[in-house]
Amino acid sequence: MLKGKTPHADFDPYAPYVDWFKWEDAKHPLSNAPEPKSRFIPSKSEAKKVLGLVRAIRKGFIKFDKPKEEPRFYMLWGDDASSSEKTGHLSYIPAPKPNMPGHEESYNPSLEYIPTQEEINSYQLMDEEDRPKFIPKRFTSLRSIPAYENAVKDSFERCLDLYLCPRVRKKRINIDPESLKPKLPSRKDLRPYPATCYLEYRGHKGAVMSISTEASGQWIASGSSDGTVRLWEVETCRCIKVWEFGEVVQYVAWNPLPELPILAVTVGQDVFLLNSGLGNEEIQRKVKELLHVETPTAPEDSGNKVSGWSWRQDDEHEGIRLRHFKSVYSVEWHRKGDYFSTVMPAGDSKAILIHQLSKKFTQRHPFKLHGLPVSAVFHPTRSIFFVSTKKNVRVYDLLKQKLIKKLETGLREVSSISIHPAGDNIIVGSRDGKLCWFDMDLSSKPYKVLKCHPKDINNVAFHRSYPLFASCSDDCTAYVFHGTVYSDLNQNPLIVPLEILRGHASSDGRGVLDCKFHPRQPWLFTAGADSLIKLYCH
Amino acid sequence: MDMDGDVEERRVQARFITKLKPPCKVPHTSIAIPANVTRFGLSTIVNSLLKAGNDEWESQPFDFVIDGELVRLPLEQFVLAKGISAEKVLEIEYIRAVAPQKEDEPSLHDDWVSAVDGSCPRFIFTGCYDSFGRVWKAAGECTHILEGHTDGITSVTIVNPEGADSVTVATASKDQSLRLWKFDTEEHLDQPAKIRAYKVLRGHNASVQSVAAQASGNMICSGSWDCTINLWRTNLSDTEGDLVSIKKRKVKNNVEESQMEGEALSTLVGHTQCVSAVHWPEHSTIYSASWDHSVRRWDVETGKDLSNIFCGKALNCLHVGGEGSSLIAAGGSDPILRIWDPRKPGTSAPIYQFSSHNSWISACKWHAKSLFHLLSASYDGKVMLWDLRTAWPLAIIDSHEDKVLCADWWKGDSVISGGVDSKLCISSGISVQ
Repeated sequence: MLKGKTPHADFDPYAPYVDWFKWEDAKHPLSNAPEPKSRFIPSKSEAKKVLGLVRAIRKGFIKFDKPKEEPRFYMLWGDDASSSEKTGHLSYIPAPKPNMPGHEESYNPSLEYIPTQEEINSYQLMDEEDRPKFIPKRFTSLRSIPAYENAVKDSFERCLDLYLCPRVRKKRINIDPESLKPKLPSRKDLRPYPATCYLEYRGHKGAVMSISTEASGQWIASGSSDGTVRLWEVETCRCIKVWEFGEVVQYVAWNPLPELPILAVTVGQDVFLLNSGLGNEEIQRKVKELLHVETPTAPEDSGNKVSGWSWRQDDEHEGIRLRHFKSVYSVEWHRKGDYFSTVMPAGDSKAILIHQLSKKFTQRHPFKLHGLPVSAVFHPTRSIFFVSTKKNVRVYDLLKQKLIKKLETGLREVSSISIHPAGDNIIVGSRDGKLCWFDMDLSSKPYKVLKCHPKDINNVAFHRSYPLFASCSDDCTAYVFHGTVYSDLNQNPLIVPLEILRGHASSDGRGVLDCKFHPRQPWLFTAGADSLIKLYCH
Repeated sequence: MDMDGDVEERRVQARFITKLKPPCKVPHTSIAIPANVTRFGLSTIVNSLLKAGNDEWESQPFDFVIDGELVRLPLEQFVLAKGISAEKVLEIEYIRAVAPQKEDEPSLHDDWVSAVDGSCPRFIFTGCYDSFGRVWKAAGECTHILEGHTDGITSVTIVNPEGADSVTVATASKDQSLRLWKFDTEEHLDQPAKIRAYKVLRGHNASVQSVAAQASGNMICSGSWDCTINLWRTNLSDTEGDLVSIKKRKVKNNVEESQMEGEALSTLVGHTQCVSAVHWPEHSTIYSASWDHSVRRWDVETGKDLSNIFCGKALNCLHVGGEGSSLIAAGGSDPILRIWDPRKPGTSAPIYQFSSHNSWISACKWHAKSLFHLLSASYDGKVMLWDLRTAWPLAIIDSHEDKVLCADWWKGDSVISGGVDSKLCISSGISVQ
């Protein structure tokens, strides 16, 4: 066989080849080998794994998550910035884009874009920074446009912009400004309050410094810088009576008792107690008795001179003339109409005096004041006395003779003070236009500070029965506020601004000098430096 | 609608009717009038119709009522606003326009004129701030001066205008008293007669603000700043003789003339502030208005208040009249004249509000005969005449230079008013039928 010889003669070495593969429709040869047995036997190891999984599923170790929902819609050209915001890491902040050229940068802009010669000239007057960078111009054709001389400069500045621009993301909070306002009741629900001026009291020739209402509300008295005190009928604006003093009348105050129509007036260094002449004969007799200083007091005058005050009969005005050693600023009555206090700002230790009308007796306020006194007011129901200095308000108990409280206003200069008729709240007006509301039970700091007047507040006032208070100022306006004080101690007072009362004219820089409420109606009297008194009605 | 009417202007069929007497009657036929015609145009049409019937006719202004409302718009707009069909024949009633024809020379006083009463056609009675009451026969003709008060008079009333020989009047003053006076109107004197009161009524503790008399003249009531209403007897001699005699003697010592002093019969308490106006229209009912924002109706017999209308404003004046003599008109510390109907149940809202004034209203008075007409006086210096059938004033009398403090009707066709300019102005020739 090795030599290539056939072992048998019958063996045909060149027998024809029988090909089992059908070449016509098959590309690759296929084995005709039978499938191995292992392929028909299930794998034991796999069966174990499956069993493990099935058990795990049954016991709940494996949980099938819900298929994640792909968002159906997405931003095709999504903003880079917003997409990078979601990532927690340092994010890419795109550079600010340069402004796109507008119509005015066109080579042939419409006429309205082209500045006139005057406008171009006015550009020269402007600061270089404000001047427009580019002045539109017209060219007939594109080829006549000259080379842009600022091209290099502009691109340099753009580079500077990119380099220096602060890459900080600004966080903006959108808050509705309305939601920040406190919820206040509507003005309509708080009626009545003074709103319109119907009556004017004309007659004074100088600024009206002070007004005061009589207890019944039929009369008002006013003191003016023309040296007169006038008595008016509220209803008809008729001037009933005039007293001449020849010196500026600083302050007028009615006795709070309706059966004692006595008027206290401060003029320079004097306090006059005047008989208004109202009431029937019996009242007049009583008043005349009260306003009579017996002559035996005359020798004592010299003794009183040392102390700085003297009670004297004044025949010219049919009243009492109470002379002080310094000019008196204000006078306030006690609610029972017998005592009254006077304030002499320059009086040092005797700055505040308390006088008794029935005994014609004067005593010094026995406490040391720190600062110049401004006003002194009696508590409306209890024996408490409020003294306000330029910086703060001191509250004294007159029975126990001690200081109860010191209210710190935090104001530059206190000008006026008024006590709520219930006595637990006071308002303080200041020369810097602020009005402070103190709740005495709450703290010695103001409960609320209302800053509404641009100029000095001259006076503040509470209404006796309606929940109203007002302030008047040199800006020729008076503000009316609603101020409810609740009997529940846990509830804070409700303060609502109601109305700005205009109408007075300014004179020598002074506006409205005094405001007082009508004792029974929701009406406000205002006294102006323009010599008018106005009545604002509801 | 015919063609040319549509082209030129729209026309409406109208018939003029009237309750006026024959010389003012137009034929009762319907005519076509232009739709855009105003009140003046209507007046011209009626006047020309009257002229056609009567050559001596002098044209005068008329006012027109359609469906109980005065025409104040062009007819077309008025018909549209009222929703009246333009197809129908429009019934237009015409009445004489209510406006003063003549202003008399003002009667000068020495001080502010605070009160006026014109309920007696023979004279006008005024009260003045110089504490005198005055009686005027005509403009500028003062016949009597009533002396005695020590302070300004605030209110006056004529107690019995029909008195045959002598008339009784009452005055209220700021000196806390009321005084009763008696005088003869038929006296003819060159000088004004000076009269003293026959009775002084004391009892109020504050200024007396208002006074009103009962229709029979036996009693008067007064409202005061001491919040009370006092009732007083007016007659000369009565059961209170004991008291009177004592007082008489007392007074006799200092004053040469004898004056009686009277005490209040009873006091109505309820108001909390000044009683600024009282009115006594019926025998046993008193109406009062006060600064405490209320109008009250009082029963005289029991002294209790029957009803209380809350107004919201301080009130200065009150008058009851109009339809059924029961509409309450009141004005006060705002420029609105309000009219209430107390017969309407369940509501205290005013049925009419007239607001053409600019300041406080100081007086309001119903016309004695008419159901619709009333006047109001205000601190803005104007007296306005109102008709309930329209919201605009019929006429504005602007003869005062300052506040008007009081006003009243006189003789049914004149308006008398007094004010701060110390004048008593009489505007006459007002034709209220």
